[in-house]
Amino acid sequence: MNNKRLVIAIIICLALMVAALPLLSACGEPDTEGKTLKIGITTPTTGPAAEKGAPMGHGNLDCIKYVNEELGGVNGYQVEVVWLDNGYDAAKVATIVKRFMNEGCLLYSTSSSAMMAASMEIANRAGFPGIAAFSSPILYRPPQHIYGQMPDYGDDFLVFAEYYMDNIWKGTGKPKMAMHLLANTTGYGARDAATAFAEELGIEIIATEEHSKTTTSEMESLTRVKALNPDVLYISSTPAPTALIVKNAYELGMFPGITIGSGHAGFTKALIDIAGADITEGVYGVFPTVNWGDDVDGMAKMTEYINEYHPNDAGNMDYITTWAQSLIMVEILRVALDNAGYDALAAGDAASWKALEEQGIQKLKNYDVDGLHGPVSYTPGDNRLSKSVRVFQVQGGEITPLTDWIDAPMVAYEDFEWFGN
Amino acid sequence: MSLPCGTRNYNYAEDMGIVRTKTHWVLLIAFLVILFTAPLYFGNYWLGVFNLIGITLIAAIGLNILVGYCGQLSIGHAGFIAVGAYTAAILTNRLEMPFLVGLIGAGVVSGLIGIIFGLPSVRVKGFYLAITTIAAQFIIIWVINHWSLTGGFVGIKVPYASIGGLVFRSESSQFYLIIIIAALCVFFAKNLARTKVGRAFIAIRDNDLAAEVMGVNLLYYKLLAFFIGCFFAGIAGALLAHWIGFLNAEQFSFTESILYVGMIIIGGLGTSIGPIFGVIFIRILQQLLTMELVPFLESTFTNFPAGFATGVTPMLFGLVIVLFLILEPRGLAHRWALFKSAYRLWPFSY
Repeated sequence: MNNKRLVIAIIICLALMVAALPLLSACGEPDTEGKTLKIGITTPTTGPAAEKGAPMGHGNLDCIKYVNEELGGVNGYQVEVVWLDNGYDAAKVATIVKRFMNEGCLLYSTSSSAMMAASMEIANRAGFPGIAAFSSPILYRPPQHIYGQMPDYGDDFLVFAEYYMDNIWKGTGKPKMAMHLLANTTGYGARDAATAFAEELGIEIIATEEHSKTTTSEMESLTRVKALNPDVLYISSTPAPTALIVKNAYELGMFPGITIGSGHAGFTKALIDIAGADITEGVYGVFPTVNWGDDVDGMAKMTEYINEYHPNDAGNMDYITTWAQSLIMVEILRVALDNAGYDALAAGDAASWKALEEQGIQKLKNYDVDGLHGPVSYTPGDNRLSKSVRVFQVQGGEITPLTDWIDAPMVAYEDFEWFGN
Repeated sequence: MSLPCGTRNYNYAEDMGIVRTKTHWVLLIAFLVILFTAPLYFGNYWLGVFNLIGITLIAAIGLNILVGYCGQLSIGHAGFIAVGAYTAAILTNRLEMPFLVGLIGAGVVSGLIGIIFGLPSVRVKGFYLAITTIAAQFIIIWVINHWSLTGGFVGIKVPYASIGGLVFRSESSQFYLIIIIAALCVFFAKNLARTKVGRAFIAIRDNDLAAEVMGVNLLYYKLLAFFIGCFFAGIAGALLAHWIGFLNAEQFSFTESILYVGMIIIGGLGTSIGPIFGVIFIRILQQLLTMELVPFLESTFTNFPAGFATGVTPMLFGLVIVLFLILEPRGLAHRWALFKSAYRLWPFSY
């Protein structure tokens, strides 16, 4: 009899345990073993933009390595990266984005605005979210599924122009500004901002010169500019052409003597390395991240990784940009996991992309990116995730910050009749 | 045409036939079945690669007619593709015309621009002509960047291709559209080489002075070659525009123009099958090195710093092309001809 009661009691206990198992598992940590969150990263590590693309690729991948190995992934899920070099080739990047979509990536990132421009319509058509480290207004005006990690080249111009008017210009009347622009979206993002706001800012644009990314001399164009007696020369380009222009301006005796400002695509350590510290002394620039050695939360770990894995990139601010980009992608995944759950993201299909965009990207609010750049938030109608840049100056061969974060205003370029025409 | 042993021509129709034997028919039908059922076995990524191959093939066929058959060296082909792409974009986006109007318009406008830049071919040839076509590349890109109609540096969006109510949204539907047009272009190029025009082209290529003495009008045929070559480039540009959906001039680089010349040389200049081999070889090699080899090396050698394998891609790409040109300078088409000869005599090949 006693045995019978014992057997019944055991059966009841076992039945209760079995019934309670799902409840227990739901209350405990999710089973993340072997489950990953896949993202696509493409950088121009070879080709004509490799001087930026290589350190940017390193920054992206080192950061994901840190997240997976030291932080245990995102909420326990390892981040799986499909990383591909696009060689700054538009046809190649089109197939790369299709590859990302095909492999179930949840979002993708590019470092250059040109590569994002070449792939964005494929992504927009599919609803596949993308983040460009360097961006120009054409990528998200009007806003669709492409986001800018940082303010764009137009924002650079607006912040620099305001800083120039408030802090540098001491003359009377309107200062005369010449612009030297890379013949692509990097240069023309700045031109669009100047077209829209130079008059309002009280600046007279006296010359707009263009150069290619493989230019070997700008003596001729700068001679034309010099004849117009500019007060300030604004360059929106990549480091190698920017260095060449600064060097040519120095050789022509224009600089020092006038103010030179640079957009963030060209204002990195590479500029000083190529042109020389003595020649670039005094050049102003805007950049949307902190500088190496700044006292912010993320600096120690990033410095440890760059010293261990890519010591040649030490001092390169592009590395910071993409380290921060990877942190932002990780934060997007974390927010999306919290809001939508792993199952909504697991398939890596159109529904997952929608969930990630609506429950991840568009829920970002004041993420501080370990202090590495301005706070990241999503504002409806404005696909720039961070809106802040700082003004820097080359002082004693070092890129030295002059200001705290300055917010660049959102500009609806599509409202201007001339935009895109 | 080399034919299998025992295959004779009894009438002109047989002499002109492209597909002659039962084996030809079986192989052709099997190839077409595999080709047109490809969307069943391949995902969107590989279909995207095939679409890029199809578009590149159309442009390469045009360049092969110009360079391979007529001997007019052009190193500005990406510029002519850009003309076609932007013409299609303007016609379908800004003027809201149907896709087919944009497609044909792209070919015609590109062909006409080709004629303009082909005019120096009457006076100069070889490297000198190559320089004028390089100028075409830079002039075209400059105009695109500075003309408001093209969107300048901002670029221009291009809608999906559509015929009637059929919109080519999916990768597989675009695959069928591109492959059908590419097949028509291959067929046209194959036949062109055997016509009076094709023979005039070949005569000009082999010796233009002799061709003129024989009564070939050099001005007419050289410009016709430019028109046809650039017409094909325009068609390819239009398809590229609708496939990618957004254009800016950076997509049509000088490097791309050089790559097209490389494709037809590797494939085999002046052969109808050469561009097919050359395009497939280069595009697949690009994909394999970038998409497969580099990620494989990165994931295998995890002790190396991230990104170490990228330098391998351009080195291997260059090495393969150099080795190829040294070992088989007459191109893959010649290797294919050797293979067919050996296959026909197998097992008694000598």
